[in-house]
Amino acid sequence: MATPPTGIVFTPEERLARRQLMLRDAISLLTLFLITAVIFVLTLFLFRSFTNHRQELGARWKARGEAALREGHPEVAIDDLRSALAYVPDRATEIELATALADAGKTQEAMVYFTTLWESAPGDGTINLQLARLAAKEGNEAQAILHYQSALDGTWQGNGYDRRREVRLEMARYLISRREYNPARTQLLIAAGNAPDDPAIKLEIAGLLEQANAPQDALGIYRSVAARRDSPVAAPEGAGRTAFALGMYRLADDYLSRVLASPLAAGLPENEKTTDRDMEDTSFHILLLYPAFDLPPGKRAERVLSLTKIARQRLTSCSGSSPSAPPRLAGLVSRWSQVSTQLTLHDLEQQPDLEQTIVQLAYDTETITAQVCGEPAGDDALLLRIARNPSAMEQE
Amino acid sequence: MPEPPIQAVSTPVPDVDVAGATTSPGPAPASPPRAGLSATLDKIAPTRGERLFLVLSIFIGVISGLLVVAFRIAIEWIRLLTLGSAPHGGQFRLVFAPAIAGLVVAALVIWFFPAARGSGVNQTKAALYVYDGFISFRTVIGKFLTSALAIGSGHSLGPEDPSLQIGAGVASIIARNLNLSRRRLRMFAPIGAAAGLAAAFNAPISAILFVIEEVIGSWSAAVLGSLVLSAISSVVVARWFWGPEPMFRIPSITVRDPRELMAYAVLGVFGGLLAPVFSLSLGYLRPRLRTLPRWSLYLQPALAGLIVGTIGFFGFPQVMGTGYDVIDQALHGQFVWQLLLALVFLKLLATTVSFSSGTPGGMFAPTLFIGAMLGGAVGGFEKHFFPHLTGTVGAYSLVGMGVLFAGFLRAPLTSVFMVLEVSGNYSIVLPVILANTLAFLISRSLQPVGIFEIFTQQDGLDLPSMEEQREEAALHIEDALQPVTVPVVNGSDTLHAVSQAVSEAHATACLIRLIDGAWYAMSADELTSAAATLTPETPVQRSLKADRTPLLFPDMPLESALHFFPRWPLLPVLNRASRETVEGTLTIDDVLRCYRSTE
Repeated sequence: MATPPTGIVFTPEERLARRQLMLRDAISLLTLFLITAVIFVLTLFLFRSFTNHRQELGARWKARGEAALREGHPEVAIDDLRSALAYVPDRATEIELATALADAGKTQEAMVYFTTLWESAPGDGTINLQLARLAAKEGNEAQAILHYQSALDGTWQGNGYDRRREVRLEMARYLISRREYNPARTQLLIAAGNAPDDPAIKLEIAGLLEQANAPQDALGIYRSVAARRDSPVAAPEGAGRTAFALGMYRLADDYLSRVLASPLAAGLPENEKTTDRDMEDTSFHILLLYPAFDLPPGKRAERVLSLTKIARQRLTSCSGSSPSAPPRLAGLVSRWSQVSTQLTLHDLEQQPDLEQTIVQLAYDTETITAQVCGEPAGDDALLLRIARNPSAMEQE
Repeated sequence: MPEPPIQAVSTPVPDVDVAGATTSPGPAPASPPRAGLSATLDKIAPTRGERLFLVLSIFIGVISGLLVVAFRIAIEWIRLLTLGSAPHGGQFRLVFAPAIAGLVVAALVIWFFPAARGSGVNQTKAALYVYDGFISFRTVIGKFLTSALAIGSGHSLGPEDPSLQIGAGVASIIARNLNLSRRRLRMFAPIGAAAGLAAAFNAPISAILFVIEEVIGSWSAAVLGSLVLSAISSVVVARWFWGPEPMFRIPSITVRDPRELMAYAVLGVFGGLLAPVFSLSLGYLRPRLRTLPRWSLYLQPALAGLIVGTIGFFGFPQVMGTGYDVIDQALHGQFVWQLLLALVFLKLLATTVSFSSGTPGGMFAPTLFIGAMLGGAVGGFEKHFFPHLTGTVGAYSLVGMGVLFAGFLRAPLTSVFMVLEVSGNYSIVLPVILANTLAFLISRSLQPVGIFEIFTQQDGLDLPSMEEQREEAALHIEDALQPVTVPVVNGSDTLHAVSQAVSEAHATACLIRLIDGAWYAMSADELTSAAATLTPETPVQRSLKADRTPLLFPDMPLESALHFFPRWPLLPVLNRASRETVEGTLTIDDVLRCYRSTE
């Protein structure tokens, strides 16, 4: 380290001292270097063993936490996942921990955790979904819908296609629970449009559409699934149920008869079977009562005459039950007074317009008397069902 | 000036327990250097000291970095062995492990390593100012072992201050084996301290600033160069092992709305109020525990461990040990503000008892912990009641770390850079500066004496207070400046004319303006002598000696004028823009009067 100064003359002793000093400094620095190398090797050995152990611990605690989460023990999972994070911090474990917090009912903690995760990754689908669930739990509808939507638009690891559909269905369920039927229907129709050819998924969507007051859309899906050779019994059952709800009793009768005749019906719960049987029975009797346009003229005229009798009796009993007849009933009475009480099958066959007028009057009679005198029973009840949506009777 | 080398190896000083007692008998402090050897070294190797200083700084940095890495691993291993891999409330080992470790640590400190007691910052300052940079090998080993055992077993202390002292010790050991001058030997301790702290924090700038702010108080180019070299070397080593990531995983932080600074200012106020509470707690408990009978010193760390362990047992294991992982969790918003607030006070209690009991370990990590929890609590509270605030809870935790660092450790500059370095995020700088400054000012107004000065006073040492030094108003020449009352003449004027002017003015001297722009202050006696030997018509400049009065300006430190007085009867103070213009004059009486008036 000693640099010879220029222009200075050394005595022999000084020259010797200088050489000795240089040698000493060199030996000192070499020794220092060797010491450094030894410390480095020792530290490296310690460090390797330490980091390996940390990795093992991290993996072990993460596996335990995930298992606890799967087994429904979120409280245990919280501790385990926290420990895992202390050894090997990673985003997936953080999300699992936050999920465990939410599952354990620590909503506020989970919300704070997820919010922080969200702030660093606002487009993460999983985080948005969890935030949506938490907001839903907290009753914050606007936030819940916002996060559900962000989850749909966000990024997903793995099969994003399936995850997005699951989120969409979950969002639809939430909207249905909030009686937001229109947006729920929109989400379900999108889900149906993107759904794979999987009967289970289609039936799930159809079921949700039913809940979202969209039986027409549900019927379409049920029918498409029912048309498959290997269709599960839920498909014709759903089709029959939704057709019944829509007033399409012919269709309902077809599907429900098929269900009840199918050997698979044995697997249905008893109460469900009873309901199906009642619907099928009702549909059958409605079809017996309904003057369908495709019936032979004589047969149709017979049914119209039968309807006339039923409706007149209903009006008479309703008028008699109320001391002062309301104006609406008076209107009906007036309209019926213009219809001859001596109508014959021939009259009706000859005058299709009169036939249609009388059918409409019978429907009106059942509708108005139901409003004035309450829900009817027996044939009146069947007639009222037809009256509520007569056009549906003709739909296939 | 040639530096006097010393044979430091042969002149060890006693190990000093900064608690006040000299704990092991030893030879007297470093003896004066041998003049003969000094002269020889100056002649045969005049630049050796300077070069060795730089080369050794790198070695010190590397070795300190390695030791600090090993130190942290030792802490983690001990933690795993004593507290298990997942400590949580309800485990009895949380109570017993720190208590038993406390007993062992107390025995080790009392019997073998008395100088390992305390945090390490004041010990390093003592080495610098009292013991010529001497820190014994035994102290380094003791600090490593006892701190690792205490912190690893759950005592609420941090590894940064011990790392600082380990680094300083390494520097001291290396330097004194190389026959360096006393001044250089003394300066190696802070260089090692910077290396140790830089490796512990993974933050070289903060470490350098802290050493400048808290240990040496000032810096020169040579010292700064060595500080930088050693800090960078140690951080390179630490990063080789731990990776380039900052100490904490910081979530993305942005300040979108300047109005949000108000929310951070509130955090600064809370930090400024909490810091004195922390200082006063330590200042109250520490001396009282020391006055207890000597046998109780064996039990105090155990009792502290028992208290800390009990806090952990009853559901708050977060307060145990360094708490880095808990800080990390707080930065990621994993706690609700109520829990964070509870952790603030529990950690404060745990740290106060751990530190006051004499258990070796540092204050940095607990300060960062409490600050982060306070920040998170305040941020969480504010966000709960003002949900439109866009800053994350993690951002408040991060700022909170700096806030308490500024308020409690009284290192405002370091606190700002520390937050920037550990976050790697410049966008947080405004909230950090605002909140830290508020915390520092409030804390200082409530508790004028900083924590390190409190410890120094309690330990009976007389170390310089860096905070006081910073606050001292330095005197300048303008403070002692007097109007020109002596004759001002030109060099070309004759001796006769000058003598007449001096005589008429009844002056004891005159100022002579020379043709080359220089000045000369001539006393009346000198003028009389010249007049006696030269003809009256001789230009006065021919009678002058070779030297000239120094260039002094009003803004220069007053002390810079002092050493010119034996030579000159008075000194002209010039205008920086026009050196021909004299702003005033300065005499030794003026200077002394000025110093006296400020006493």
